[in-house]
Amino acid sequence: MVDTTKNTKLFTSYGVTTSKAINPDMAAKMISKAKRPLLVVGTGVLRPEILDRAVKIAKKANLPIAATGSSLHGFLDKDVNAKYINVHQLGFYLTDPAWPGLDGKGNYDTIIVLEFKKYYINQVLSGTKNFSKVKSISIGKDYVQNATMSFGTISREEHFVALDELIDLL
Amino acid sequence: MSKLTTGSFSIEDLESVQITINNVIGAAKEAADEKAKDLGPLGPTTWPGLATYRDDWNFKLLARYEPVITPMCDQCCYCTYGPCDLSNNKRGACGIDMLGHNGREFFLRVITGTACHAAHGRHLLDHLIEVFGEDLPLKLGQSDVLTPNITITTGQRPMTLGEIKPAMEYTEEQLTQLLATVHAGQEAAEIDYDSKALFSGSLDHVGMEISDIVQIAALDFPKADPEAPLIEMGVGTIDKEKPFLCVIGHNVGGVTYMMDYMEEHDLTNKMELGGLCCTAIDLTRYKEADRRAPYTKVIGSMSQELKIIRTGLPDVIVVDEQCVRGDIVPEAQKLGIPVIASNAKIMYGLPNRDAQDVDATIEELKSGAIPGAVILDYDKLGEIAVRLTQVMHPIREAAGFRKIASDEQMKEWVDKCADCGSCYLVCPEELEIPEAMKHAKKGDYSYLEDLHDQCIGCRRCEQVCKKEIPILSVIEKAAQKIIAEEKGLIRAGRGQVSDAEIRAEGLNLVMGTTPGIIAIIGCPNYGDGAKSVYYIAEEFLKRNFIVVGTGCGAMDMGMYKDENGQTLYERFPGGFQSGGLVNIGSCVSNAHITGAAQKVAGIFGGRTMGGNLAEIADYVLNRVGACGLAWGAFSQKAASIGTGCNIYGIPAVLGPHSSKYRRALIAKNYDDEKWKVYDARNGEEMNIPPAPEFLLITAETWQEAIPMMAKACIRPSDNSMGRSIKLTHWMELHEKYIGGMPDDWWKFIRTEADLPLAKRADLMKKLEGEYGWEIDWKRKKIISGPKIKFDVSAQPTNLKRLCKGA
Repeated sequence: MVDTTKNTKLFTSYGVTTSKAINPDMAAKMISKAKRPLLVVGTGVLRPEILDRAVKIAKKANLPIAATGSSLHGFLDKDVNAKYINVHQLGFYLTDPAWPGLDGKGNYDTIIVLEFKKYYINQVLSGTKNFSKVKSISIGKDYVQNATMSFGTISREEHFVALDELIDLL
Repeated sequence: MSKLTTGSFSIEDLESVQITINNVIGAAKEAADEKAKDLGPLGPTTWPGLATYRDDWNFKLLARYEPVITPMCDQCCYCTYGPCDLSNNKRGACGIDMLGHNGREFFLRVITGTACHAAHGRHLLDHLIEVFGEDLPLKLGQSDVLTPNITITTGQRPMTLGEIKPAMEYTEEQLTQLLATVHAGQEAAEIDYDSKALFSGSLDHVGMEISDIVQIAALDFPKADPEAPLIEMGVGTIDKEKPFLCVIGHNVGGVTYMMDYMEEHDLTNKMELGGLCCTAIDLTRYKEADRRAPYTKVIGSMSQELKIIRTGLPDVIVVDEQCVRGDIVPEAQKLGIPVIASNAKIMYGLPNRDAQDVDATIEELKSGAIPGAVILDYDKLGEIAVRLTQVMHPIREAAGFRKIASDEQMKEWVDKCADCGSCYLVCPEELEIPEAMKHAKKGDYSYLEDLHDQCIGCRRCEQVCKKEIPILSVIEKAAQKIIAEEKGLIRAGRGQVSDAEIRAEGLNLVMGTTPGIIAIIGCPNYGDGAKSVYYIAEEFLKRNFIVVGTGCGAMDMGMYKDENGQTLYERFPGGFQSGGLVNIGSCVSNAHITGAAQKVAGIFGGRTMGGNLAEIADYVLNRVGACGLAWGAFSQKAASIGTGCNIYGIPAVLGPHSSKYRRALIAKNYDDEKWKVYDARNGEEMNIPPAPEFLLITAETWQEAIPMMAKACIRPSDNSMGRSIKLTHWMELHEKYIGGMPDDWWKFIRTEADLPLAKRADLMKKLEGEYGWEIDWKRKKIISGPKIKFDVSAQPTNLKRLCKGA
């Protein structure tokens, strides 16, 4: 298994709390354990190699997708349950237990985030980290400090391998 | 309070003694208040203090648009009790919690920006009164409402430079009060910091208004002129054969003396004068009211500062204030460029040469004995800057400072790269520098060239490079062909929107037939490159929105051309009209953008303006479809400008970097209780659509921002034609940039006439099939379903006190 825990150098946000660095097996376990998971993807997901893997993750783990930024285009013909929402808005709504969610069935307990600029998702997750009980798992190629758990900073090639391993383990 | 006013008097019994009273504290304000009584009715909030807007307006806004806190840091490091861990909203040793601390942090940004504009206004006001006298009339163009922000805030309608002084003094007083609340052990409630931030935002637009109107009046800037001259911009417009005087910052005061000196000595064709950031825009406005041939140039925004220095082209750099990099002296020194600091706010540790003879100072700077000097005496500044530029040009040319790096040097730099990836990790834009360097090693510089547009020139990459590669210079060398061709056009800032334009467009805006005003403001720290601003502006202009711009955003809109080689400023008219591209001016000109919305309420809507912020803002929020875009909101000034727009009911979309402001204002679009207002005719509650659904929010990409802004122009009081037009644009833009139909389009439908005309039948089928609405297909009418009712006479308001019988 590719070691996705090795580089956890901080970049944008600072403070005393940092994300737990995890490998794909732990990510798969946490996703499987979640009662109301949501896959949250940024616009970077439109890279074909990543889009293909994101669709596989969603299908295999039966995850609804919050397609943020301008990423929804990538999912319209992929037979997955994807809906657009702005990620800043999503981050706020996740802190409200009364939010009906994207499907009207209630708020989420776990979000899995993929393919954002790390400074942006770090900021959004700093809100959910401090003001909600929602768990966040970053499976992008950059270490995201404000997630509950995150892959470390890895190369794009290592990232592809890590996502493939995650898909196998789901 | 004393009844004395400013002036002088003599006491006759005391021989040979004269007492001169230049100012009696409070007297000017009192005299101005007396005068204001003759100017019509005033609202309830003249000269507001920290608590004035709190309950009647700010808390109403904040109840719907809830503060969304995204901390930059888990800790508070503010006082000696700490550092304290505030994670999970814990309280620190002083008792403040994470929410309160971050509310304070955002508030601090807002008052910092407000202070910058207000201090700039004070500097210009004092300087221009000294030069032109207090009685200089405020001639700003065709307008009865000269100073909407001052008038709404203070009830005053100043007509001369001197009559502005009470508003200036008041702004300074309130800023002191606001700053005091940041002290440890003061305010602790986040919601109150947000209310104070909103108040500070309103003051910011007063400070900006003062800054801009005094320079328009005294320095003969274009006055509400839709045909203000087109100005050359971009580094490619600089004639390398001529001496180049480069000015950086945001205070045109000193630059006018350089221009005067150049003109008096017939030098305007013999040297280049251009600049970066807002001074550059304002120098293109100087004496342009009579349309003389423009000769000064706008080089670019703050992100270009280091890049321009690294070209070696500037022979002298003059900095003033705001948005100026802290490393200009050491960077300039490497290339033999003397730096003159012309404003007491930035002195860089340089020696002050105000008291020294001009020739001696030029000799001292020419010799390199000192890297630069402080010169605050504008007469000396004008002469020294211009003469020194001419002296330095041949010296620097001979020394080779003006040559760009050779191909051999470039190869040497690239080959040193060890592919460690540190540059990628620290780059604020997360540029793939290591990838580009890999290709460059193989001789393909195109990847490096592509980074130029996105690079903000911060040089964080260079600071971590263990091989000491000047990465910024590498990128710029790779992009030298693009840079040489960077030639655009920007319209010299025209100042405020005239009353006539408001009267002509007011009905269209309130009814929604002009789909909205898109205000493109802010600084260069884009998430996806400078061209994104051009794409956004072009999309809205083609759809007949009114696009207004200021500052660096206005510059970047002018940097790109279409297939016919035309910039947006050439393709679209400069008037405040449907499909017009209006460059208002520098970033202090942003006050005229809120001013335009305020004038719609005051002139078109007939609302009392003086001392009546809540009612004016309520009108704008419910009726005027305007949305700001600060796509690269880098600075604290952008935070205060945006927050000032927010208190006036104007939402703003920011770029992804602005998530680092730590705060947004977002409504819960799913909570029906948030979407009710009163009908002022009878005080009854009425349901409204979730529009606008935010006051301050970030978008990830420019493609996402476009439909968000189009949606944010929808207002509760749109008539059916306006709603139909606005929905048409929003839904088309959502389809184009996001994909598919927006999920919540049906929430905006009150009647079949609201539906976009081209898709009316299809959408009615969806309403029937997917949402269970009843449709009378014979008459093609909606029978039941909408939660909101259409009533053309309804008067939506958030202020119960405005309702009849209240």
